[in-house]
Amino acid sequence: MRSGTLLKQALESYRSDADVGPLPPPVDTDSLLNTFHPDHLRGSVVKLGVGVNAGDSCQRDLADLLQTEAYIDEADLAGTPVTDVDVLVIGGGGAGCAAALAAAEKGARVLLATKLRLGDSNTVMAEGGIQASIEPDDSVQKHIQDTLRGGHHAGNPSLVASMAEDGPDVLRWLIHLGMQFELTASGDLQTRRAGGMSASRLVYCRDYTGLEMMRVLREAVIQHRSIEVWEQSPAVELLSNEFGLKCVGAVLTSLIDGQMRIVRTRSVILATGGLGRLHLNGFATSNHLGATGDGLVLAYRIGAKLCELDSFQYHPTGLVYPSHLSGKLVTEGVRAAGALLLNANGNRFIDELQPRDIVCAAILRECQEGRGVRIDDERVGVWLDTPRLEQTQPGLLERQFPNLMSRTKGSGLDPRTQPLLVHPTLHYQNGGVIIDTSGASTVPGLYAVGEVAGGIHGRNRIMGNALLEIICFGRRAGYAATAKRDRGPKKVTLEHINQLRRALTLAKMPMTRRAPQILPAYAKGGLWTR
Amino acid sequence: MSTATHEGDNRTHISLTINGLAVDVTAGMTLVEAAWHAGVPGITGVGCLEGVCGSCRVMLRKDKVVSVGLACQTFVESGIEVIFLPAASAPRHHYDISDFKDSWDIHARFHSIFPEASRCRHCHGCVGACPKDISVEDGVALAAQGRYREAGEAFFECVMCELCDVACPELIAPAHVGLFSRRITAHFHLRPPNLITRLEELRQRREEMGEGEKDED
Repeated sequence: MRSGTLLKQALESYRSDADVGPLPPPVDTDSLLNTFHPDHLRGSVVKLGVGVNAGDSCQRDLADLLQTEAYIDEADLAGTPVTDVDVLVIGGGGAGCAAALAAAEKGARVLLATKLRLGDSNTVMAEGGIQASIEPDDSVQKHIQDTLRGGHHAGNPSLVASMAEDGPDVLRWLIHLGMQFELTASGDLQTRRAGGMSASRLVYCRDYTGLEMMRVLREAVIQHRSIEVWEQSPAVELLSNEFGLKCVGAVLTSLIDGQMRIVRTRSVILATGGLGRLHLNGFATSNHLGATGDGLVLAYRIGAKLCELDSFQYHPTGLVYPSHLSGKLVTEGVRAAGALLLNANGNRFIDELQPRDIVCAAILRECQEGRGVRIDDERVGVWLDTPRLEQTQPGLLERQFPNLMSRTKGSGLDPRTQPLLVHPTLHYQNGGVIIDTSGASTVPGLYAVGEVAGGIHGRNRIMGNALLEIICFGRRAGYAATAKRDRGPKKVTLEHINQLRRALTLAKMPMTRRAPQILPAYAKGGLWTR
Repeated sequence: MSTATHEGDNRTHISLTINGLAVDVTAGMTLVEAAWHAGVPGITGVGCLEGVCGSCRVMLRKDKVVSVGLACQTFVESGIEVIFLPAASAPRHHYDISDFKDSWDIHARFHSIFPEASRCRHCHGCVGACPKDISVEDGVALAAQGRYREAGEAFFECVMCELCDVACPELIAPAHVGLFSRRITAHFHLRPPNLITRLEELRQRREEMGEGEKDED
């Protein structure tokens, strides 16, 4: 199916001062979502066959990954060097760093292991900002309501309340560590209002909020005396006690030399992030290279219950070209500033500031019904009309979106003169490991924080809650993991893997594929092979 | 419009070496894509793929000119030699921001943490190495004068690739000087009234509701 207008033609007929026509009358959002949103694609959802979520709906590619063979068995543990720590944090993004810092604050010896480099994460790419109710006309209650409503009321109210209540203190903690924010002339924190907010609540640092947060957290972790950092050290399996019922550590490998290491501990905090690099349903992604859903696989195997495994956020405006930036985001802020979405005929087709899932479905509708701009068989999109924005507000793009401008520079694309071709891109995992308000999963000794955890955003996340969530629950899990004082593990085993293998065999499921994936197939050269 | 964005037809072939391996790729690829395409082993210093995480540091040689950059933002060229650099070693400058109680002695503290910062010999090595076109040298000079706010602003786009640290013959660690300047500015001077008011309201409410209410499990 090669419907749509070819890029060259579309560019020739594009005029930044052309009449865009009236906005079509709104359609029924439910039927729009049901017909075009990728979560509802026919055949994209299956029922899980084994594990604690057996019988629940799950996206097909993710289900394939959750029900797989492990990399190691007990023979691999013999002779493997053992390290003992109080708290093991797996993941080096914002949530992992916050958890490590909080645990260290309480006097724990912390080991932070991360697959790539400390700070390589989706946190560093977050542009929009972080939510906290600090304005006089705003309240914690409103923040709770907006978050629950945005998530189609599928979120856990007690988690949402914890997050909203912590918001202002999270900002204080970040400022104490040395993070800067935009200020008003009178020195107040500058706030702005984004999609789904009933008050002005988003604080930010130009379009580099995540970068500013991540480099401060990274430096704080590196400088901390009681946090040890192991980079290039992905986790291949968690360890359980002899009954397979409690998490007592993890097995890490090294991308440098392939050496495995056992880490024995009282508490493991999973902060492994999302799974964009699994390219669910064939979508491009905004995520960083390490986002392969490893944490979900590890948690599910050891018996942690997961939720909303069939709900993902596709950000409406991912770049289609230049190809090296395929799937990378153009922040929602550009639309908030007034940029329009146009189809190949140069017409508007949706109110650009509707919630993300609705705008996403509308773009997919245009592409499928032949009103998209096509590069080749695979790549198609619609225009994000940045030249018109530049024409009406000269200089705005350079002033407010330095990140966007410097990214497209060097590839011969200037958003001020040429519209950007955009298509929805896999952005965020709405669900994940079920946690309580201290970040504890359903498995004793195992915590989950950040994108790998679920229950906060329901079935749709609103802008600015991800950066808040990672710090809020990162800190809570760090404190809680340190508070639990027992004598530590007596025995570390792979009993939960034995149980998984029995279940897979009984369910007659193939055991050919191994997980976690660690790196996407196209980057497998990074894996150390024996 | 520019042709660089119109891919697809008649792509030119390009030969270069990556980590010593000869690879054959097509024009328009970044160095990361080229390394993946050719299956170069051991490429693990790759993160965000959009130039903000600072992981994919490379050294390039083109004829006799040697330069550094970020592999996800650099395009392949014929005949260049590319080496993916290992991650930076642990920093040699240590401080804990919680130890800073008094902002009046911060100048002395800065120079005891970063004694090399005042020894800049203006070689421009750091400026040439920066993939984000930061005026690194000026930023370091501002910090050495105690102008932390301005110094920090100079480093606003820093992605912590630490290529300037490698380039500095005086071992100043400019990226960390820049981050120190930014952190100190926020730590001592960011006191937003709207945030402080809300924090106080929440504290009073907690007090009214009774002590130890916060999430007892």
